[in-house]
Amino acid sequence: MMSETVLEVKDLKTWFFTRRGTVKAVNGVDFVLKRGECLCLVGESGCGKTVTALSILRLFDSPPGRIVGGQVIYKGDDLATCPMQRLREIRGGDIAMVFQNAQSSLNPVFTVGDQIAEQVMVHERVSRREALSRAHALMEEMNIPQPGRALNMYPHQMSGGMKQRAMIAMSLSCSPQILIADEPTTAVDVTIRAQIIHILRALKTRRDMSIIFITHDLSLVKDIGDRAAVVYGGRVVEVAAVEDILKNPAHPYTVGLIDCLPDVSSQDKRLPSIAGNTPNPLEMPSGCPFHPRCSHVMDICRSKMPACANITDVHTVSCYLFGDKNGGIAR
Amino acid sequence: MTDGKPARSGRRLMDYYWERLRKNRLSIIGLGFVVFLSLLGIFGPIFAPDPQKTDFQTKNLPPMGFSIEESVYEISTGESITTVVWGNLDHPLGTDSKGRDMLAMLISGARISLLVGLLATGIAIFLGTLIGVLSAYSGGWVDNILMRFTDIMMTFPFFLLLVMIVFIFGPSLAIIVLVIGLTGWTGAARLIRSETLSIRTRDFVTASKALGASDARIMFRHLIPNVSSLIIVMATLSIPGVIMAEAALSFIGLGDPMSTSWGTILNTGQHSLDTAWWVAVEPGIMLFLTVLSFNFFGDGLRDAFDPKASI
Repeated sequence: MMSETVLEVKDLKTWFFTRRGTVKAVNGVDFVLKRGECLCLVGESGCGKTVTALSILRLFDSPPGRIVGGQVIYKGDDLATCPMQRLREIRGGDIAMVFQNAQSSLNPVFTVGDQIAEQVMVHERVSRREALSRAHALMEEMNIPQPGRALNMYPHQMSGGMKQRAMIAMSLSCSPQILIADEPTTAVDVTIRAQIIHILRALKTRRDMSIIFITHDLSLVKDIGDRAAVVYGGRVVEVAAVEDILKNPAHPYTVGLIDCLPDVSSQDKRLPSIAGNTPNPLEMPSGCPFHPRCSHVMDICRSKMPACANITDVHTVSCYLFGDKNGGIAR
Repeated sequence: MTDGKPARSGRRLMDYYWERLRKNRLSIIGLGFVVFLSLLGIFGPIFAPDPQKTDFQTKNLPPMGFSIEESVYEISTGESITTVVWGNLDHPLGTDSKGRDMLAMLISGARISLLVGLLATGIAIFLGTLIGVLSAYSGGWVDNILMRFTDIMMTFPFFLLLVMIVFIFGPSLAIIVLVIGLTGWTGAARLIRSETLSIRTRDFVTASKALGASDARIMFRHLIPNVSSLIIVMATLSIPGVIMAEAALSFIGLGDPMSTSWGTILNTGQHSLDTAWWVAVEPGIMLFLTVLSFNFFGDGLRDAFDPKASI
């Protein structure tokens, strides 16, 4: 697992300048992605995980959004500042993205085969025939029954699970190194979800691909993730191997999240929850964004953002409960 | 969602639209007449006699099955002799005051009307689509400038402009087509812009951007195909307006003098309305039927393409 780094996100800040104020949706996110691993970005709705993913490929609407700081390093290029031309080559070619809503992620007026073949031809100089045969192979890899028939279908003729798999096939058509999957299983039922997770896991090992998997569902993290980064208030608050996070969560927010996991065998009628609400993005709390909801809150939490502290070599957390309380350097 | 039969791409979608269109009887009649007119315009002139050929021996001949009384003042006897003249097979639709064959002239008119209608609409819809999609996709100041330009173009009184330009550059079909095409795109641009605005926020646009599509590719592969039904309907419904404009221009004498269009024939017929009524009535009927057919067909298309319309 300790292989080379393929993507490094350093202190990334994506802010949205709206009429009502500045939304600091991503406010200093750091993480690294290694070859062949699946990193899960976990957090509640609105915590900034999707914007983080969009920022990697600069796909957010601009204006109002803007990357105001930080770097996204891929193969020596900084994707946050590199020219559009280079970014377009990377999109789809090196880093591909799958969205949560497969229902509408395919163009309704072309057949799925057309769209996958076109995707191949955008990035590589191949004949249409070759592109179509590549599409056929990809559909097979996605375990789609009768791939030849499926290629001739329009999106509305497919089921939700098929569409999501076709979408994944399309994003893999140019053998990207990194796949960003933004909640790819929220719109499908549990059996399809299991299939998609299975496919992604197989892809990871077969193609030695790295996956950034965005989800709010910790049970999925357990199934697919190698490492997990917990995101809160536009920041990564804790990073560790998945087993570590689930067994020894350090950050009070992570602890809260894991407590909220429903347990089928439990007799309790009420699910535990984290007190309070997610912060208003226009008025982020000072210091640690989690302090208004934290049961361990200290004075310093209200004024200064804690720095990353290492619990082990591979387990870091941003909280004053760990590491040197006074040495925390605000960023 | 999927039925047992193998999905045939392309054809199946067209079949579906054809099925829906077929249920609208009026639009099929309209389509039939448009097809008939097109065949007439394309192949008719090969068989018909020269529409410009005059023959004063057979002037003012009524259409077949009709007759007129012709009075000739006989100088030697000093009295006028009235003879009844019947239309004949040589000129099935009669002749005008210069003895030109009406059928040949109407066929020539069909060719010109369709030519002007298709070319001018083609230019207008092309420009309208380009400006509408570019405006909606770019947004911001590009959108602002293009739409204000459209507003300005809309304020021009179109027919006055047409008359003025024809007056300056001289009457020719090319000028008429260009002027109608270059001024007629404004409505299309606005409509296509508003339709594109709703499509560009759909997920498949973001998804294709995420997979490396360029702006041009998104516009031409994703946005325009998704507004194509709107484009087709708009084109069909704007052809009759163009045909009427060309006829009106020819009628007031600003048409191409080298060609025989329905408007020109109408103009000729106007002077002999009391004696040779058919010269004005026949092109009038053709114009009426043509405009009506395009409108029926266009309405049918609109309903067929509209997934919410119950047919």
